[in-house]
Amino acid sequence: MTTSTVAEKKPSISPGFIAWLGFVGILLLIGLVSAVMVFWKGLVITNMSDTIPWGLWITIDLSAIALGAGAFTLSAIVYIFKIERFRPILRLAVLVGFIGYTSALLTLVMDIGRPDRFYHPWIYWNVHSVLWEITWCITIYLSILILEFLPVIAEASFFDRWPWVRKAAAILHKTAAPLAIIGLGISLLHQSSLGAAYGIVRSRAVWFKPSMPIMFIVSAIAVGPALTVAIAYVLEWVTGKMTVPHNVLRTIVRFSGVALLVYGYIKMWDFLASTYYGNTEAVTDSLALLNQLTPYNFTFWVFEVLLGILVPAVLFLTPRFNRNPANVVLGSFLAVLGIIVNRWNVTVSGLFVPLEYSPGILYNPAPVNYFPNLVEWGVAIGILGYMLLLLTLGVKYLPLFKEEHGHT
Amino acid sequence: MTEKKSKKKKQVKVNLTRRDVLTVGVAAAGSAVVAPLITSGPLSPFSGLKQAALEAETPTHIEHGHGEYHWGMVIDLDRCIGCEYCLRACSAVNDVSPDHPWNIVIEEQTSTEQTFYFTRPCLHCQHAPCVEVCPVKATYHREDGLVVMDYDRCIGCRYCEVACPYDARRFNWEVPKYENPYVPTWGVPEVPRRARGVVEKCTFCIHRIDNGLEAGNMPGEDFDSTPACVNICPVHARVFGNLNDPDSEVAQVIEANPTIRLREDLGTDPSVYYIPPKEGL
Repeated sequence: MTTSTVAEKKPSISPGFIAWLGFVGILLLIGLVSAVMVFWKGLVITNMSDTIPWGLWITIDLSAIALGAGAFTLSAIVYIFKIERFRPILRLAVLVGFIGYTSALLTLVMDIGRPDRFYHPWIYWNVHSVLWEITWCITIYLSILILEFLPVIAEASFFDRWPWVRKAAAILHKTAAPLAIIGLGISLLHQSSLGAAYGIVRSRAVWFKPSMPIMFIVSAIAVGPALTVAIAYVLEWVTGKMTVPHNVLRTIVRFSGVALLVYGYIKMWDFLASTYYGNTEAVTDSLALLNQLTPYNFTFWVFEVLLGILVPAVLFLTPRFNRNPANVVLGSFLAVLGIIVNRWNVTVSGLFVPLEYSPGILYNPAPVNYFPNLVEWGVAIGILGYMLLLLTLGVKYLPLFKEEHGHT
Repeated sequence: MTEKKSKKKKQVKVNLTRRDVLTVGVAAAGSAVVAPLITSGPLSPFSGLKQAALEAETPTHIEHGHGEYHWGMVIDLDRCIGCEYCLRACSAVNDVSPDHPWNIVIEEQTSTEQTFYFTRPCLHCQHAPCVEVCPVKATYHREDGLVVMDYDRCIGCRYCEVACPYDARRFNWEVPKYENPYVPTWGVPEVPRRARGVVEKCTFCIHRIDNGLEAGNMPGEDFDSTPACVNICPVHARVFGNLNDPDSEVAQVIEANPTIRLREDLGTDPSVYYIPPKEGL
């Protein structure tokens, strides 16, 4: 039995695949070296400072979690709204979600000063803290993702030798629906709380607005599924095998397009209310300063709005375009880029603007510019390597697209 | 249509039995009950550690500043001469890195272009944003109004640094191996250095307050139980004491002078008051 499965796999390890693994290995090596340096010397070797305590890594956390949102969205569609059509993409979506959440946690472990105390939020509760709630939700949701995914892992041919694993997996699979319900609730909470982590900080005028959590969750719901679809198409090109029926992918992409427009709509009113009409001194000054220091306006309009929302929405919603997978993949790539730029802009926009002690401007320290240095990019590259490795292994060794045959 | 409907019903029945719902509900409720038992109760694996003692010290119901004591400070910007003695004494006594002082001194100008000096400890806000955001209660309110740091609990996420409107918090970016230029001229360290990876800030010399009260002294009146910055000030620009005692010097000074607090619009309710320069700000 085991020999036959090995024989099945061997021919599929092509030179191209080995080259790909080598590339991923180099990324991981860069990340590993950077991580060791950070653990050895401390965070002092990054470009972060007391003035700008958060930087590239927080951007990665926020983006990775937002991009993993396809898992809870599609799980909810299949398990709660019972739209069985979307089941064929579910396993891939859960895998992408798992990759997103674990990379976020990995980055977080790099980012915090005391990684050895990572478990403290579970022991010492501050129920008033948004970050405490986020930590709880993320870890609980990650467990849900693992529980949802274990039956898939159990289906791998490796487990042929232990029938009890399959039986246990079958029992576990029955909990999928309640898990999806809990997952939906928890995701709705923490995806928005990530925005609230900024939205509640009243000392930073640019951040302090109730639209922050809403924009975070809507953008995540829009882009998460789109990324999953793009990965399905790319896998199809790479493996040459049909992954998920194209009509399913097209429907999901249309859903993403609509969600992107909703995101754009909320973003428009947010911009109009807080910046254009609001025109409060604190916000206006902050934005003026941001534009002096960074290409804030340019990145906002071009990457967040034009390339991140409008172009992908057109590519996703127009039948002429979304029939061609290349357009969908391009649109997803742009939307993902838009999310990452948005999370970066949100993070730095609040921190670049120095605090001000009124009445009278008692203290207004010189603004500090921040751009990640080599070590920070190194860790980011390592995280990318981790994402690609997990995706590669998952696609290669797990029956991600098995169920579609039974349903079509 | 009808076929679809019946199918739907069937699936609901199969996937979401009462037992499933109950199991999940009981598990959630159970963990909610068990978790605090494990963390702080007799079942806690940490009960033997110092953490448990700290946990007991953390008030669950916060009535900060309404007890017998509410420690506060007045800083007279009209008196301050910008000598930086407060910064130096603070850095020596608390063994603070010279690159990241807790207590800052800044030269400023009034609107009439008069030079004055502005100093800032931690303001020990009664609605402190740092306390709200800390995910592990490593920073918390004490009954006497102090905002305290628990260095053994801090995970170094730096959210408090991001949230503090006054830039009062400092992170230990590296192992604290610096040479302290203020020791021994300006004082000797009375507290250990903080480890790499945790956040720190001005404590109002909490060790002096606590030891002083235990010895029957009154912080703000007795030298040994008063913050180092207050003791060292050559022009008596800083007054420290119990805001809840109307007879204390600090309360009297606030009563007798016009005072401001920083960014009152944020609703942080700081425990540090400033007397503006005579020329105005």
